[in-house]
Amino acid sequence: MYVTIIDKERENVMKDNETDEIVKIAKNCRHFSMCKIDILGSGICASGLEKHYVSFFPQGRMDLYAALYENKIPVTDRCIEIVDSCNLCGKCDYPCYFTQELRPLKVMKALKEHIKSYLKNGGEIVKTDDDQILIELKKIVGDYWATNDPAIGIAYHHDICPHTTYKMPHYVVMPKTKEEISAIIKLLNQNNITYAVRGNGASSHGLTFTDGVVLDLHRMKTIEFDEKNWLVKVEPGVSSFDMQMEAQKRGFRVHTAEPSSLVCANIMTTGILSTFSTAYGLAGDNYVTAEFIDRDGRYFDLNDINAPNLFAYEYILGEPEPFAICVSLSMKLHAKTDDEDAIIIPFDSLGKAMDFSKECAARRIGLSIAILGQEFFATFMAPTKKLATEAKDLFINKLGMPYLVLLIGDAYDINCVKEMGHSFINNDLFKILCQSLPTLKSAEWLDLLDSLIEDDPYEFLKLEQFKDLAEMALAPSPAHMVEDIDPELQPFFEKLYQKPEMLDLVWLNTSRILSSRYCREKPPVALVCYLPCESSLIEEMQYELKKIADKHGIYGDLGFITPFDFGKRCIWEYDFYFNNLDPDEISRVRQVNDQAFELLEEYCKKTGTIRPVRYLLNHGCCRKENLLYINPK
Amino acid sequence: MANRKDKYIVLTGATGFLGAFLLAGLLDRGYQVIALGRSSTMKLAERLSNLVTWLNIGPRQRLLPIEVDFTKKHFGLDDKAYSQLCANTGKIIHCASDTRFAERNRKQVMESNISNLASILEFAEDSQAEHFYYISTAYAVGVCEGICLETPVSLENNKFTNVYEESKAQAEDIITKGCNKIAMPLSILRPSIVYGHSKTGRALKFNALYYGVKSLSYIKDIFVKDIVEHGGTKSIKWGFNINNDGTLYLPLTVYLPENGAVNLISVDYFVEATIRIMEQGDAGIYNITCDNPPNILTISDYIEKFLGIRGIKTICKPFDNPPNPAEELFGRFFEIYRPYLSDKRIFDRSHTKSVVNDLSTPPLTYDIFDRCMSYAVACDWGKIANFPK
Repeated sequence: MYVTIIDKERENVMKDNETDEIVKIAKNCRHFSMCKIDILGSGICASGLEKHYVSFFPQGRMDLYAALYENKIPVTDRCIEIVDSCNLCGKCDYPCYFTQELRPLKVMKALKEHIKSYLKNGGEIVKTDDDQILIELKKIVGDYWATNDPAIGIAYHHDICPHTTYKMPHYVVMPKTKEEISAIIKLLNQNNITYAVRGNGASSHGLTFTDGVVLDLHRMKTIEFDEKNWLVKVEPGVSSFDMQMEAQKRGFRVHTAEPSSLVCANIMTTGILSTFSTAYGLAGDNYVTAEFIDRDGRYFDLNDINAPNLFAYEYILGEPEPFAICVSLSMKLHAKTDDEDAIIIPFDSLGKAMDFSKECAARRIGLSIAILGQEFFATFMAPTKKLATEAKDLFINKLGMPYLVLLIGDAYDINCVKEMGHSFINNDLFKILCQSLPTLKSAEWLDLLDSLIEDDPYEFLKLEQFKDLAEMALAPSPAHMVEDIDPELQPFFEKLYQKPEMLDLVWLNTSRILSSRYCREKPPVALVCYLPCESSLIEEMQYELKKIADKHGIYGDLGFITPFDFGKRCIWEYDFYFNNLDPDEISRVRQVNDQAFELLEEYCKKTGTIRPVRYLLNHGCCRKENLLYINPK
Repeated sequence: MANRKDKYIVLTGATGFLGAFLLAGLLDRGYQVIALGRSSTMKLAERLSNLVTWLNIGPRQRLLPIEVDFTKKHFGLDDKAYSQLCANTGKIIHCASDTRFAERNRKQVMESNISNLASILEFAEDSQAEHFYYISTAYAVGVCEGICLETPVSLENNKFTNVYEESKAQAEDIITKGCNKIAMPLSILRPSIVYGHSKTGRALKFNALYYGVKSLSYIKDIFVKDIVEHGGTKSIKWGFNINNDGTLYLPLTVYLPENGAVNLISVDYFVEATIRIMEQGDAGIYNITCDNPPNILTISDYIEKFLGIRGIKTICKPFDNPPNPAEELFGRFFEIYRPYLSDKRIFDRSHTKSVVNDLSTPPLTYDIFDRCMSYAVACDWGKIANFPK
């Protein structure tokens, strides 16, 4: 449909003007939508907030630029609008550099330059015609909110999942109400048109593509608090980050997933899982009721006695479309206390880390528990890839801390860990380590710590004056922390790291703004499972997975493990990292992933207690007990 | 008593500190040596090759490395290789040891120092070796005061400072019984704390005496950097400053429960004494120790002079006031060595002197101290690239 005639002149303009670096940035966008939420307090792209379509956000413009560069789409009138609406304010650079070390502003500039040259050279602006379906869609949502312009559709046509088959949507429509959604579904059903429901354009698992209609619910952003009943009702366009920040303003916490992910979408797909699952649970634990539009376009409220029993779990792997569209969700509000704090407990083996975590969960110690391998921990704490590599080496080889348990809890929880006799890194020391990362690897005195001969190898952390010593030795400061950052951005980041919350482990874990750094070096394919909290089982599976990865030259490593349900089960994530710009590596990671799934299936059958999260896709709203403790039919 | 020249001396632990210097000494004197060692990430032959280069050891053709697994019967060698090893064996020097002190390493220390003895004693029997030499430690006698005789250790009601001492005492007992059973002559050599070569300063491991100097060197660097580069607000609060002569005033009070000495010997003395005992001594126990060990005050003076610091003092009772950061960190670093810094044991050396009367460890002068520590610093405490691992 979007076959365009590309004249030679246009092709040359593109290739002359663009550098490999800029295309690489554009194609490296992880589609995590971090440019659409204000994670750093530095503001969001104004045009995106106004126009809502993904293409008006930096993420969409990156896709647009890459598509134009590869001649996948023509220059259209919406394309011109998208480009004109960017004022090159540079706000996009901050969150993107913070999480991915990318500079999208370079792409925004290149995109403008390209269109300018294209028009100067007499390039044609292609207009897309309204067909009957589009006319009907526009009648439902209004003229501006339905389109078949490829400059809009391109932002919904792919993600970084190596298994994805890209599909270009024919139409993108942005309803504002559940009534509009109902009308759209009825229209599509009448015309046998497939659809996919999207929120913020964020996608990483390749499951939300269609060549029919994309329903982008980004305009449905209402949040209503019912504090008396400890509830908050959200519409499907509300991101986890926005909801969490609103809850925090009122002194509450909500259990959310990745910051840019949408709350309703999370519930409907994987169910909300996080390190806070230790205290807040997962899947059906997180909400009280929800409203839906079903596949026939009919509305139902889950609290209706005649509503479908969505708390039951049915194994329906591979369902192409959601069984219903969640149009609102009533989430639980959780209490926060003033004495919440975070500590990091080091371990020299996974077994010890798991024993500790399981014990804490069983004894109800801690709100959030996560065993982190150094791939995750070092990546999260370091502001750049280079420093992450150094930090990983330092923690594993110099400090002998291959595994770290991050525990968030109140003062009673922290005291319990102390009484259990564990040495730990508290938030103050974490801050010092972060702010001195650029010189940490050359701090020779750290060699001594490793050779301290104590029964607890981390005994030095119990030294009363250790913080003072570390401060004197490392001279931590925000300025020091940002030394390795792109010089142009250093002033911004120096100021940013002066904000207390930016090194506050409780805030960082509640907001989860660091977690998307895990794909900064290379994006991963994540295997996530619920399984018994048994280190021998996990170590055995990790060993097998690593063997598969090694065979194909792919790097695989533990992501995180979080115990929940009083230590009866845990969430376990294992990741395979691949270069998303290297076709050979993509092919290899596909093979790894396929073999890993086969292996997981074997373990599922063998144990009867393992539930890969992929069993859950499209049914994350079920009751966790139904999922975990009843064998699927 | 010299080894039959057609036979090899079989040495374990040749890649360790004492073993490496002993290997060098033996090769220098024309002995041919079979070095038994485990395989690791680097082949034994490669490790030994690096070592002989580093130590500038003489003819390598008289050194035969054999990779073995001490946990296995016949060291994991096939029948032919094992028979050949047995046939070539003259004397055995068992020097391999896990020298870690921490209780958390008990399992590994006991495995290495005790469990492995089964295959080694079996080998001694199978090879019908001429003599078995066991390199133990002077501290296998356990926690005691007064004169420590060159007699077998008592395992009953004995207390040990750490698992290393305990394992060495048990090992002496097991080896004694094992050798008695097969009527094999046994000599147990008990060195005290060994530092580098008194004439060249060379060493291979930088623990014990070195560890305190290294710790203080790093601690000094922390405070100097804080004062010079960052204004030293915290350092000054704790009373640290840079004196007019450029030295750092580092108020460091070290708690030692009593006045005593540090029994130190140089590695060259250890090697000379061991070879002499091997060539001229009879079976029995030998304390390879120092008759006039220095006390901690002397060593503190050396450290201050070497590092350019002032302010170290010792006290005989625990701190009244909270320790400053340097004291707390150094105290923790030095905790495991504390019992050896105020040692009241006197090691009898009658038997040793009967063989090496004309030989004694050189007194630890500042020159020797400086030579050894300068060597350690030049090697960046063993971290420089080509240092043997």
